[in-house]
Amino acid sequence: MPRDRIYEDLSLVERRAKIVFAIVAGLIFLTLGYYWKVQIIDHKKYAAMADANRSRMRVLAAPRGLIRDRKGGILADNQASFKVSLVRENVKNEAESFAAVSRLLGLDEATVRARVALHKDLPAFEPIVIADGLGPEQVAPIESRRLERPELVVEPEPQRYYPNGGLAAHVLGYLQELTAEEIQAHPERKVRVGELVGRTGVERVYDDALRGQDGTVYEEVDSLGRFRQETGHQYPVQGDDLILTIDPELQREAENSLAGREGVVVALDAATGGILALASSPTYDPNKFITRFTPQEWTDLMSDTNSPLENRAIRGLYAPGSIFKLVMGLAGLGFGYVTEDTSVYCSGSTEIYGAVRHCWFAPGHGAMNLAAAIQNSCNIYFYSLGRRMNIDTIAVAAGRLGLGRKTGVDLVGEKDGLVPNQEWKLKALKTPWFPGETISVSIGQGQLEVTPIQIAAMTARIAKRGAWVWPHLVEGATGPLADPAAGEPPPSETLPAFTPSTYEAVIAGMWRSANEGGTGAQAKVEGFDVCGKTGSTQTISREAAERLALAGHPVKTHSWFSGFAPRVNPKIVVTVLVEFGGGGGATAAPVAGRLFEIYKKELEPK
Amino acid sequence: MRLLIDRRLFGEIDWVLLGLILLQSLIGVFFIYSATHFMPGAYYVRQLIWIGVSLTALFLVLAIDYKFFVALSGYLYALVVVVLFVTLIFARWVAGTKSWITLGLMQAQPSEVAKIAMILVFAKLFADYKSAYVTTSTTLGALAVAALPLALIVAQPDLGTAMTFLAIIGGAFILAGLRRKAVILLVLAAVVIGVGGWTVALKDYQKKRVTTLINPAGDPRGSGYQVIQSKIAIGSGGFAGKGFKKGTQSQLRFLPARQTDFIFSVIGEEAGFLGVLIVMGLYFALLARLFLSVGKARDRAGVYICFTAALLISFQFLVNILMIIGLLPVVGITLPFLSYGGSSLLTSYVACGLVMNVRMRRFANV
Repeated sequence: MPRDRIYEDLSLVERRAKIVFAIVAGLIFLTLGYYWKVQIIDHKKYAAMADANRSRMRVLAAPRGLIRDRKGGILADNQASFKVSLVRENVKNEAESFAAVSRLLGLDEATVRARVALHKDLPAFEPIVIADGLGPEQVAPIESRRLERPELVVEPEPQRYYPNGGLAAHVLGYLQELTAEEIQAHPERKVRVGELVGRTGVERVYDDALRGQDGTVYEEVDSLGRFRQETGHQYPVQGDDLILTIDPELQREAENSLAGREGVVVALDAATGGILALASSPTYDPNKFITRFTPQEWTDLMSDTNSPLENRAIRGLYAPGSIFKLVMGLAGLGFGYVTEDTSVYCSGSTEIYGAVRHCWFAPGHGAMNLAAAIQNSCNIYFYSLGRRMNIDTIAVAAGRLGLGRKTGVDLVGEKDGLVPNQEWKLKALKTPWFPGETISVSIGQGQLEVTPIQIAAMTARIAKRGAWVWPHLVEGATGPLADPAAGEPPPSETLPAFTPSTYEAVIAGMWRSANEGGTGAQAKVEGFDVCGKTGSTQTISREAAERLALAGHPVKTHSWFSGFAPRVNPKIVVTVLVEFGGGGGATAAPVAGRLFEIYKKELEPK
Repeated sequence: MRLLIDRRLFGEIDWVLLGLILLQSLIGVFFIYSATHFMPGAYYVRQLIWIGVSLTALFLVLAIDYKFFVALSGYLYALVVVVLFVTLIFARWVAGTKSWITLGLMQAQPSEVAKIAMILVFAKLFADYKSAYVTTSTTLGALAVAALPLALIVAQPDLGTAMTFLAIIGGAFILAGLRRKAVILLVLAAVVIGVGGWTVALKDYQKKRVTTLINPAGDPRGSGYQVIQSKIAIGSGGFAGKGFKKGTQSQLRFLPARQTDFIFSVIGEEAGFLGVLIVMGLYFALLARLFLSVGKARDRAGVYICFTAALLISFQFLVNILMIIGLLPVVGITLPFLSYGGSSLLTSYVACGLVMNVRMRRFANV
């Protein structure tokens, strides 16, 4: 066959086209043969199946697993309720139906229409939930009008209920419907339309385990689609129960101590990293919106300027203030810039790089070594340490203690925080690092940002003399947890820690802070050997604060306390942050002290 | 180049083909009405409007010499790629994919338009190619051209449309002549991509559709449901069917997607084997008309247009009628002309318009 022709000869391609058509024609013929088999030869079989095909399937929602605290108390329970759904394809006359349904349920017609419009992309046979959280007396009138209103479906639904109201709300999270987009984006989660699933907190992280397996009822219906009898029943399987590390007494105290203020309390089991208490204030009552229809409560919560829905423990970014002096101390000692006995004289102020810097204690602390500097939270000592060190060295030390990245706590939305270094600044702000900024970072100001949970985890590491700690919420479950990340600690850190003696030196200062009249004195508990560090974070520049104070509007600092007890063989870590609480020693330390005291009593043999 | 139609050309319009198309479409409307008359939305009216729109588009396509479209195909291709890309980024999720974009009140599937662009681009690519067999470099070049929009459609993910694309590409290669070595290589590549795709890319629900094909009873309430219900509908139709608006399967809504992908099941149930035979017979005539237009083309570009368009319609027709009776997995391919849906209707009409265009200009001076 010639490879190339000068003139256009299409006979070859035409022949190929005819062959392809012959194949297509053959396939059509074969397919027709199969239709003959199905429609004529097997007709009786399929006709019988069509006759018997009067069964329909209804989903029985599985109750969610319970969530308990470490003492077995129930934090999240279920209660019986009913929901009403509308099936669009059974709607005969839209206007009449919407009006009648709204009247029957006592709903606003526009609300029902909006709700149905929201799901307009769904197949018409899928029920759309239009009312929920109803009692038996509320659904009775609908049940009795079953024949008149075939578009309405009443189904029982176990509804989430939080018996303690707002207790541990940020830990537990809350439930919400997923949007159609979210459901379709994650087919593997197998979420039904209208199903309430965990949106945040433990309810979200362990949603797969908590949700359980839906059951099904197979019903026979008549030729008009009306219920005749049940032909099969598959019971739903309740989701796994979760047992949290939360200690109800500590949690309650933590929340009470924050009442009326904005702030965070985190308490960790120092041995395991289990979270004994996690309070973020202001808070909310998740019972207020366990139904799908509470727009007003929602708008109020979402628009509240104090953001009660935010979990400040993992999402609040704060300057660590003087708490950061612990990192500085470990870095100075660990990297050999100072020894335990290196002494710095504090006269109340000092000049660094041409600017005068003050200690918080104007008369000056006198000669300070590391332990004394931590005890008294002396700024001058740490300024001088900062001048000797470079920002990158400080950043390495902060990284070793877990700052600047997520702790991996089993909650959603945790933030990374920020530990600045030269490379970061050049990249993010396009300007080189100034030595003066290192001085600000030395006392925990500047661009440093931490979350309270990071500070708690850092304190636990110091308490355990460098051992790795993973803050987590779930202690156990009744079934194997479906989520692969759940219940299993992330791979432990391989970063080198400091030597145990380095930690001992810093801990000595923390012990003196609480027990020898240091800034953390109010956290002291007799016989519990509390070790801690306070912090008071400037929220605006010092000059601005002074101007406002002169004008009669003093701006309070954020107050921090983070510590552990006892000094040897530590049992508990407590971190407290009160926004605009003033001095850390005066506001945050006593809160921690009360938690230490409660836990000490719990540990005593009964 | 003569752009506008004149009276002589008007006489050359393939009225038989046009008649077959319209007949099929009206049968479609008939059964769409039967499948949806009890639901709000007046689907059949909307389908009639779409038939009008598509018919207008078909005549617009006829008015301009196909050479002009072929010449413009490069731009059309670029436009389609851009739109597909934008769709992927901005489109909403509808039924598990991001293949829909909203244009004002209208929703459209750009991947449907991409089929037309592909037909024209391949016509242009192979028009000057006169050897009996394609060379490796041409093969690879054509594959590269096809790969870009194909990848964007797979990413949506719209497997059905992607498969239809493969049919167009495969058709063009068959026509150009692939050497045995190349065929073996392509088949090997397909197997590797298939196995790899199964383990890596396919979502669980997609895998389930394939396993359901082998054992539909294994998942009677999930993805096997549609196939079982569809087969019951067709089988219970018998020889003469249950009658218009009397199909228990379709009227009682056991059949999902009955006005779109599963319209032929409704026909099978309500019009029986007789209805199936008539629709398939009409389809056979329509496809024969399309394939035989290949022989009427005045040049190579025309040959490719007729052939790939014919293959496009054949492929969708065959996959659909095999899928609804459980011989192929449910991949979401509509039945051209009969299924409800504007984008699909428009594409099929325009594809046929191109074939008619080639046929009526067979005597034109090049």
